Amino acid sequence: MANVLPIFSVSDFLASVNQTLEYAYPSIEIEGEVASFKVNQGKFVFFDLKDSGGSIGCFMTVWQMRIPIEDGMKVVVRATPKLTPWGKFSLTVQAIRPSGEGSLKKSFELLKAKLEKEGLFSPERKRPLPGLPHHIGVISSTQAAGYADFIKILDDRWGGMQVDVAHVQVQGEAAPDQMIRAIKYFNEQEVLPEVLVIVRGGGSADDLSAFNDELLVREIAASRIPTLVGVGHEVDESLADLAADVRAATPSNAAQIIVPDKREIVQGSRHSLARIIVRMEQAIRDTQLMTKATLELAFRRIEQQLERNTDMLRQRRAMLAAYDPKSVLERGYALVRGDERVGGVVTIEKATVTLTAEVTNVSKNN
Amino acid sequence: MSAKTTNLIQDKLAKLNEYVAWFDSDEFALEQAVDKFAAAEKLAEEIEQDLAGFKNEINVIKKKFDQE
Repeated sequence: MANVLPIFSVSDFLASVNQTLEYAYPSIEIEGEVASFKVNQGKFVFFDLKDSGGSIGCFMTVWQMRIPIEDGMKVVVRATPKLTPWGKFSLTVQAIRPSGEGSLKKSFELLKAKLEKEGLFSPERKRPLPGLPHHIGVISSTQAAGYADFIKILDDRWGGMQVDVAHVQVQGEAAPDQMIRAIKYFNEQEVLPEVLVIVRGGGSADDLSAFNDELLVREIAASRIPTLVGVGHEVDESLADLAADVRAATPSNAAQIIVPDKREIVQGSRHSLARIIVRMEQAIRDTQLMTKATLELAFRRIEQQLERNTDMLRQRRAMLAAYDPKSVLERGYALVRGDERVGGVVTIEKATVTLTAEVTNVSKNN
Repeated sequence: MSAKTTNLIQDKLAKLNEYVAWFDSDEFALEQAVDKFAAAEKLAEEIEQDLAGFKNEINVIKKKFDQE
């Protein structure tokens, strides 16, 4: 029996090839360099993905593009291969991400410049975080080391807070959308947390690239709740960091920024008491010195008064002594008493003797 | 409940600061200082005790964020 080959119509054949492709490659990731990148009608993105041995046309919509792309960038696309009705083989791209340090950096710089131009990172947009929050929202992976660090430091430093945690992926293609949903979730709550914290520990540039996703960065900037982002290590800078109201160098640093350290509060209280004691001791010393000085002054006054009285007494005594008739007699004078007429008898008292005499003459002095 | 506790501690801290400020102010009088010091000391002890038993309430939201 001879082999009978099936005869397809063109459309059927195209559909059959597409079915085979879909079965063989439901979703594939291909790495290559972008060439002939263009956007038509502001909606449709076309580019070629090439390497030294070949080139494939790619198609996607602008809404699927989460990072800026330009010719020459090395990227990885997640796509479905397809044969178009015109027989052209192409990739329908679902997601695209930069590949390699150079492309990651390039994409980062392009998006940074774009968002900076829009004012998303401007200091005027930054809001202060609450001094001591009662309710915080945390977006992180509960399995990540960065989250564990954040919670540990938070618990060590302060308590009494309601901490609502949205468990999301913080790495990989799904991460940005999950974080966006979590931000929306917190912002739609009836009672909003006072601050929204997004944390993730360190990783490679590729691991952290989720935090450079344009839609995520825009969602952070648009959050009604003030945001604090602590991603990676101190040297890592993400666009999410730049869009946040406050940037923390690490997840641990985020916890340090958000709450005071209760040990410092206790130390502060003890220090305050110590200061009070010093102040009291000083006041007691001052009062003692003042009392001593007042007493000394009182003594001095009493002594002075005493001296004055003694001097006065001495003067009075001297005065009295001067008035004493005996001292006059001692200076050679005499006290005459008796009948001062001629023939009368008088007594003459001198310092050492008393004489009795008869008056023989009385004459008036000039 | 936790917000109330936090407020209480904040109130106590504010009160303690008031006492400290009084000791530094011109209103300071040795006659009142002993009583004020005793009150401040009691407050500092209370703050220390409150902080020691101060725990956060961590609640992982049940909602999944991997789909709309």
